[in-house]
Amino acid sequence: MNALRSILTIAGNTVREAIRSRVLYTLLFFALLLIATGSLLSTLSYVERERILQDVGLAAIRIFGVAIAIFVGIGLIHREVDRRTIYTILSKPISRTQFLVGKYLGLVATLWLQLAIMGAAFAAVSWLSGARFDAGHLAALLLAGAELAVIVGVATLFSSFTTPMLASLFTTGLWAIGHLSRDLRELGLQSEDAVFRGLAQTIHRVLPDLSAFDLTSQAVHGLPIAASDVWLPLAYATGWVVILLATASIVFERRDFR
Amino acid sequence: MTEARDVVTVDGLEKDFRVGLLGRRKPALAGISFRVRSGEIFGFVGPNGAGKTTTLKVLMGLIRPSAGHATILGHGVGESAFRRQIGFLPENPYFYEFLTGREILRFYARLSGVPRGEVERRAALLLDWVGLSHAADARLRTYSKGMLQRTGIAQALVHDPQVVFLDEPMSGLDPIGRKEIRDLVLRLREEGKTVFMNTHILSDVESVCDRVAIIVKGRIRYEGATHDFLDDGESECDLVLRSLPAELGARFSEAGFVRRGLGDRVELRVHEKEVADVLQACLTAGARVVAVTPHRRSLEEIFLSAVAAPDAAPTSQAGRAGEGHR
Repeated sequence: MNALRSILTIAGNTVREAIRSRVLYTLLFFALLLIATGSLLSTLSYVERERILQDVGLAAIRIFGVAIAIFVGIGLIHREVDRRTIYTILSKPISRTQFLVGKYLGLVATLWLQLAIMGAAFAAVSWLSGARFDAGHLAALLLAGAELAVIVGVATLFSSFTTPMLASLFTTGLWAIGHLSRDLRELGLQSEDAVFRGLAQTIHRVLPDLSAFDLTSQAVHGLPIAASDVWLPLAYATGWVVILLATASIVFERRDFR
Repeated sequence: MTEARDVVTVDGLEKDFRVGLLGRRKPALAGISFRVRSGEIFGFVGPNGAGKTTTLKVLMGLIRPSAGHATILGHGVGESAFRRQIGFLPENPYFYEFLTGREILRFYARLSGVPRGEVERRAALLLDWVGLSHAADARLRTYSKGMLQRTGIAQALVHDPQVVFLDEPMSGLDPIGRKEIRDLVLRLREEGKTVFMNTHILSDVESVCDRVAIIVKGRIRYEGATHDFLDDGESECDLVLRSLPAELGARFSEAGFVRRGLGDRVELRVHEKEVADVLQACLTAGARVVAVTPHRRSLEEIFLSAVAAPDAAPTSQAGRAGEGHR
């Protein structure tokens, strides 16, 4: 019970920090601007105006969501150590793992709040433009949230032992590979080179497959989405978050704060 | 009278840091041992880089020792649950600047396990205690260094801990602020709390601490009661004389007693054991004794001699203290 209270205290404070940060408002503003711009871009075309509007809107939500996740996530732990705020916190009855999980949950909650705001703006723009907004779009937004949870997990892991600069490189690299790994595996399957085939499959297995969280096409084109298209990626995300936080916790528990 | 129990025990604590690309070992603590007893103010003194903060960080679980063992209130320092019984003020404390004084104390109170219904009351009480009630709702980014130091003390005490660890608590404070912190530390002792204080301000140690340990290059050089150090049999006496015959003055000068001579007035510094002989010689020779002032060695002098002493020469007091704990 005390552990849960400590985790929620740290998480609540992380959300409060984000709410009082001007940088996040700026990023959120540009994301909303881009979503709104989708309706302008769609007027440039005579065909598939709704598709352009929604493609741009959902892409803006995903890209800004990831940008904010990386931007804030890479300094999540490092900043606490660098500014020495962690000294007084860890002198209290809270374990390092509880602190780490609290910081993680706080940032994820912040990102989901922003995702909800961006999603609401997207729904409003779609409604004003006469475009469809249904359960498929909600499913796409839900999985975008799951992807953000995984990205924050990656950023938290790197932030627990390296500098923000390196953490941003590693996290961005992993995000890019995570979106390409499924295509890479397909390429590997078609390749006659056994080494490349093996390498492509290994990368797909050991790194998170982030394209599993992309339902943009189905949502925009109104294609049917099965329940398993949602819960399987959600379970996949949960598994990755557990692995990433457990690894981050092991690394963080062994650190010296000099 | 019951004997004070050991609240903090440190036995053979070692810490090596890895430095450079090759990970060369650099020892920061070379097997230190000491005890802090309940209800006392313990001064941990040493020059910069001696290992004071490293020791405190080991005690706070912020760094892992390479060897040795340390406990607080009977718990290993790696544990976290017992920390609701301790408070810690780091050197030059940093806090979340986006929070107000009241919010930061609520935050630390919750983390420290203060019951929900008590959080608000404890935060207000501590703000009042450290004189920050007027700035309770201002963001910490607007606080001065002295105000942040007080906030640090308030967060260390917000959960009413039994043992308080202070790292350079007077650092960066003006004389009034230093006096306030000194009074606060004494008040903590009156309330029965144990205070462990890292500091380099020796006058504060001298006036506040019951016992001290001096650490130099990762080794304990002295440990014992503050008054034992100051009355360690090495005391001297300052004599002020007039009409001292020249012949006797020359003898005292050869013996290295003369500190200053101004006209008819001569000032001597004589070892305590020789005071009676010197005074008798002066009176017999017809000199007039103006003043006899006992001169105690200050902690600063003891500290400087400890720092200057060779590495492998711990004092007998440190040795005795160490033997007593085994």
